[in-house]
Amino acid sequence: MLTNQMPAAVHATTVLDRTEPAPGIVLLGFYAPELAAVTRPGQFLMAIPPGGERTATALGIYEAQDRRVAVLFSVCGPRTRELAGLRAGDRLEVTAPLGNGFDLSGSPRDVAVVAGGIGIASLLLPAQALIASSARVRLYYGARSAALLVERDRFAAEGCEIHCATDDGSYGRRGFVSGLLAGAEPRPDLVLACGPTPMLRATAAACSALGVPAQLSLEETFACGVGGCWGCVVPIDRNSAQAPRFPGPDKGGSDTVNARVCKEGPVFWAHELRW
Amino acid sequence: MSGSQAAHAAVDLSVKLGRLELAYPTLMGSGCYGSGEEFAAFADPAKIGGVVLKSVTQRPRLGNRAPRLVATPSGMLNAIGLQNPGIDWYLEHDLAERVPRPWKTIGSVAGFSVDEYAYVTQRLAARPEIDAIELNVSCPNVAAEGETFACDPKLTGRVVRLVRDTTEKTLIVKLSPNVTDIAAVAREAEDAGADALAVINTVRGMAIDVGTWRPRLGNVTGGLSGPAIRPIAVLAVYEVARAVKIPIVGQGGIETVTDALEFFLAGATAVSIGTANFIDPRIPERIVEGLRAYLGERGLLSIGQIVGQANRGFAGAHRCEGREG
Repeated sequence: MLTNQMPAAVHATTVLDRTEPAPGIVLLGFYAPELAAVTRPGQFLMAIPPGGERTATALGIYEAQDRRVAVLFSVCGPRTRELAGLRAGDRLEVTAPLGNGFDLSGSPRDVAVVAGGIGIASLLLPAQALIASSARVRLYYGARSAALLVERDRFAAEGCEIHCATDDGSYGRRGFVSGLLAGAEPRPDLVLACGPTPMLRATAAACSALGVPAQLSLEETFACGVGGCWGCVVPIDRNSAQAPRFPGPDKGGSDTVNARVCKEGPVFWAHELRW
Repeated sequence: MSGSQAAHAAVDLSVKLGRLELAYPTLMGSGCYGSGEEFAAFADPAKIGGVVLKSVTQRPRLGNRAPRLVATPSGMLNAIGLQNPGIDWYLEHDLAERVPRPWKTIGSVAGFSVDEYAYVTQRLAARPEIDAIELNVSCPNVAAEGETFACDPKLTGRVVRLVRDTTEKTLIVKLSPNVTDIAAVAREAEDAGADALAVINTVRGMAIDVGTWRPRLGNVTGGLSGPAIRPIAVLAVYEVARAVKIPIVGQGGIETVTDALEFFLAGATAVSIGTANFIDPRIPERIVEGLRAYLGERGLLSIGQIVGQANRGFAGAHRCEGREG
């Protein structure tokens, strides 16, 4: 798995565009040429609250092209509500790019990209990169209902094959996206997934049954987002290349250690997690 | 440079905590700032007085299970649980690989027995990378054991006395607000040889998920920080300042220069910034610039001139009646 080599910085940006692909979901594009140039698929940013809310908000980077970076998020509390209130021309400061991102080395030829709800936001950049390297990319996309399957046309336009599932059956197959993935034919070489924790656990189980390696972009509450507070940990195999260095059992430590989702992650190999 | 800028530049913000000399009266709170390196790309290291490192214990600790954080009104709850690799590994790896920075580095020691505090302090303080030691006798997130020390004045005195014998370096004792009489604990720590007191650690708290009917923190209880606790912290500093002569590091929800000034006026010689770094890592340097401007505008030459001013006349408040200014 990759580590984040690129030093992050605070970028002062200006909002370029704001749309609502669905009620309560906002796509916010902003002018950030330097950030667009260095962002890798699967990385995230911390949006410094523009209007007095406390603690920055971690958001997956949805688009990064030319001079524009965009985030796609659902409004779920006061901080995201504040960000959703931004309009074209407003200022927004972001600390980015953060986290390791997906590991797309090894030339995968057939990749399943699996999104649970707003987890779709971290998956456009890897899908674009894979398609650019001529890989086949299938998007498995689950949400509560049809209206929340935002941006699926965008993924189709990029060249992804689209397979959807909804909890209420209002679009695609009724049920969870992990069930859809379990029936993937032919079996993909690699799975990249992002979504809520129960969906990622189910995806990891489906991939284990299929015998396909999976990279999961985890969801966890962040405070600092830069590795300073150790608030966002996940248990991981101490022998993982991503594990923070920690004494083993011979030195009073453990075979399982807590890695920071924001620093060592947010992307981890499913088989190395001990959650 | 204009006249007023020149006046601001002449303001002396340096302070001393025991033997520890700080260029700025701002520390970064333990557990909020990692090793400092995590923030070095976003903050100006030359504008930070000191970094209090994450607490270290004798043995490795995996820390608490997730979730470790919950956002709450005007603050946050945390229950990290002193995750650290233990003193042996810490000295060999974490500390040895530190990048030199202009800030002062304060090691933080936690423990579960009086002897553990002394042992870890002795080993840590012996290292040249460490400029001072903070004794975390008040962590609320380790099954009540850790905080026992700072909740008992006599036990605090015992720990500090034993630790005092292990190092000449500045010893800062971090006090808990979860006590009936913080001044009594402060006096014991001073009598036992503490050079300074950090006031306050987090306030115990809890949040419950009404969907699942379960506590929202993996550890069930946590420590509350942020502006929600600021008035509690200001009062604690105010009371401790009346009880002791050693300097105080005021902390609890400081986000702006105005917040910091409250602590100085209550009796703090320096302040510590923790949770605010999660809003914007440039807040500490803004506070430093704000202090310079505040003092400069009033024709004051040093931060020391305002320390404890709100405490003056406390005993004889009535005498101040009718006085202007």
